[in-house]
Amino acid sequence: MCKENLFRFYSLRNAGVIDLNDIVKIKGLKSGLQLTFAKGASFDDVQANLLHKLQTGEKFFIRGTTVFVPKDFFAEEQNEKLRRMFHRHGMLFSTELKMPTFPKTPTKTVVEVKKAEEPAPKMLVINRTVRGGQEVKTESSVMIFGNVNPGAQIVAGGNIDIRGICRGFVHAGAFGDESAFVVADRLMPMQIRIADVIARSPDNMEKAQQAERASIKDGHIVFEPIMR
Amino acid sequence: MSEIIVITSGKGGVGKTTTTANIGVGLAMRGNRVALIDTDTGLRNLDLLLGLENRIMYDLVDVTSGRVKFNKALVRHKKYDTLYLLPTSQVKDKSAVNPEQLVELCKEMQKDFDFIIIDCPAGIEQGFKTAIAAADCAIVVTMPEISAVRDADKIIGELGRADKENIKLIVNRIRPQMVENGDMLDMEDINEILSIDCIGQVPDDEMVVTATNRGEPVIAMKDSTAGKAYKNIVGRLCGERIPFYKPPKEGFFAKLKKLFGMF
Repeated sequence: MCKENLFRFYSLRNAGVIDLNDIVKIKGLKSGLQLTFAKGASFDDVQANLLHKLQTGEKFFIRGTTVFVPKDFFAEEQNEKLRRMFHRHGMLFSTELKMPTFPKTPTKTVVEVKKAEEPAPKMLVINRTVRGGQEVKTESSVMIFGNVNPGAQIVAGGNIDIRGICRGFVHAGAFGDESAFVVADRLMPMQIRIADVIARSPDNMEKAQQAERASIKDGHIVFEPIMR
Repeated sequence: MSEIIVITSGKGGVGKTTTTANIGVGLAMRGNRVALIDTDTGLRNLDLLLGLENRIMYDLVDVTSGRVKFNKALVRHKKYDTLYLLPTSQVKDKSAVNPEQLVELCKEMQKDFDFIIIDCPAGIEQGFKTAIAAADCAIVVTMPEISAVRDADKIIGELGRADKENIKLIVNRIRPQMVENGDMLDMEDINEILSIDCIGQVPDDEMVVTATNRGEPVIAMKDSTAGKAYKNIVGRLCGERIPFYKPPKEGFFAKLKKLFGMF
């Protein structure tokens, strides 16, 4: 479910960005980006096209990425010009492709985006109360030894575990992980979000009596009592 | 070495200045040498509450800009002669004093006083940052009202960011009757959110208004409940252990009546 969503999200984004009649085609590889040029494209056109892409902040061109260009398409000195242009934008340039499993002359290339590297599993630990106006944002999971007061915000890519009272705004699975959950000794958040599902507190909330765990069940956020 | 205390709240109108004046007078009544510094430049009130407006010669801005020495600007209280006020300017604004100048000034004044109490302006902007810079203890004043508690929470966070760890709480303007009916936040609710050491619970008292208009703090009035609460706060600041005043509990008959009311 989660993977499917991720895929849909990416493909939607691609639809807006890629013009299949473009003289430069980009293919994402594990080791970097493979560029292919339309037959008979002039060097000046290609250079201008790439420069435009770089300057408009095309999403693939992340600093530190290696860009692979076919070796014999342009002359040596022209490749050198490209190399300098990419270096200026913080990218590496190569004419030697290290990936042998490159499909030969794909006619209508479906462009893939390099998948974001999985972050190493880790956990942010906060040993204090998060007060109103304070914000905790992390790509990983977060554990809070203290309360989350009204007006505070916790946004985590993973799960949220609060060893205290939660009255603030919590968002678990902020990058779309629908299996993420929120646990607190007393779970009374102002608003809770898991992935893209949102729930707000009832208008007259009763005091929570025990530890609870919130997660997505059938597209809704559900609170369940837990033991701890 | 003297103690430098800042009195702050975030929200306006919760009683920072009243608290400053009362604690100041209370400490002076016990014989301490006390200096009150008003940092609410442009909106000064502390001199009014102490009834000292007509004696002001120089102000905080004159001192920090080096025009006069601080002891020239200090105004001695007419009744308590160990209590001094350093008023601020009514014509300048908050940018006229910066944190470094206030730290420097407090360091100089520390030799002459047992307590330096700084009255902080409302808000979390420049004025607040200036006021808290020199303090080694902060007293957060709040009211049993959701917005005041929320702002106090924010202020405690800001104080933590400025590495002020010694923070005390005063809850002002409590109406015991409303608390009992469940129409006002009670101490338990407030402590649950703010979770800092509480040194005072001051009931709402009409005499505070009278006292403010007369220019003599309520702590000096014998039969005021708020005055009593302030006296207790001063005692706790001096390290005494004083239990919190609780409104008298319902008697046996009242309980019996309630029981019958249920049927």
